Amino acid sequence: MDDKFFAWLDGELTAAEAAEIEARVAADPALRKLAEEHRALGARLKAAFDPVAAEPVSLAAYAPAADSNVASLAQVRVARRPVTQQFWAQAASIAVVFAMGAGAGNSLLGGPASPIAPEAGRLVAAASLEDALYRQLASQPADSGPRIGLTFRDKQGHVCRTFTDQGASGLACLQGGDWRLEGLFQAPEGQAADYRMAAGSDPRLGTLVDSAIAGEPFDAEKERQARNSGWK
Amino acid sequence: MDQQRAFDRDLAVLLPRLRRFAHALSRSRADADDLTQMTVERALRSREQWQPGTKLDSWLYRIMRNLWIDTVRARGRIERRTAAAEEADGVAHDPVPGIEAAIDLQRVMAAMDRLPDEQREIVALILVEGFGYREAAEMLGLPIGTVSSRLVRGRTALMALLGEA
Repeated sequence: MDDKFFAWLDGELTAAEAAEIEARVAADPALRKLAEEHRALGARLKAAFDPVAAEPVSLAAYAPAADSNVASLAQVRVARRPVTQQFWAQAASIAVVFAMGAGAGNSLLGGPASPIAPEAGRLVAAASLEDALYRQLASQPADSGPRIGLTFRDKQGHVCRTFTDQGASGLACLQGGDWRLEGLFQAPEGQAADYRMAAGSDPRLGTLVDSAIAGEPFDAEKERQARNSGWK
Repeated sequence: MDQQRAFDRDLAVLLPRLRRFAHALSRSRADADDLTQMTVERALRSREQWQPGTKLDSWLYRIMRNLWIDTVRARGRIERRTAAAEEADGVAHDPVPGIEAAIDLQRVMAAMDRLPDEQREIVALILVEGFGYREAAEMLGLPIGTVSSRLVRGRTALMALLGEA
């Protein structure tokens, strides 16, 4: 049944065979549900991979002229990236970085209590993370949940704060009432539970802060004043 | 000469699809681009072996799949997994409109990573690339029954990994 059911789903059966399976599926709610779920899975796979095929690429980038001096693999790699990808790869200051697997991506992005939410096409802090970014002082961390590291103004004048939460660390800047995520990094395994990790100890977060910051980070007094005045 | 130009043009047209297949096979952006490059180089060098009138896409997919098997064998699984993990750490994406799609690509590639090689290539050819069972069976040199049962196992595993997300 399994093979035939899926062959039907994929349009691989003859009309007569298909009619037979269709009748069976129509009569069986469990099979109907299975069909729906697998149609959705197929659509999701297509949706995930299709943008790759939409990226502009040229044959020349993948086929260095045979008579040219062989460029280093790294050079070739950069040259063949689609332009947007090259741009963003260099623009580390606005990179949002996710680790694969069952780590930050899933735990940080799921459900109504998720500390991160999409907002008008951007990721912004929500729930406990938003709360911490608005209210918490680096010197007075909560017993659990997100912890604040550095606070500073970026080159556009927005207040930005680094945080660690659930093994991830990141940078968010306050714009129009939302703490927009400018970067999110998953701590290497083994450090995941270390909420006391100093802000910026992840080298990628440090790099991101360096590229964004204007002047010096706030000291404790300035941080408190800024918070008490609503981050104006 | 004209024939060579026509070949190159057709190859260029197929390049985006080949890159997509490379992503599904290798589950890594860097590996996918290396694999695409190897495939293009091999195809250009072997132009004469392609018989006009046969399907160019099947021929190219077959080259890519065989090169990937060679790569995996040469590297060994452990090293590749390390490379993939590093790559995931360093993935930089446009955070504005493409972010949802980019995140989902990472998630889907991570799920694909958990499949056995022989299921993954079939999932990639049929569910991602849209080939029929027969075409996939011919490309892989497998009986069609083997293709369909591996596809059932692969998609069932993916459903368990990605189901609720």
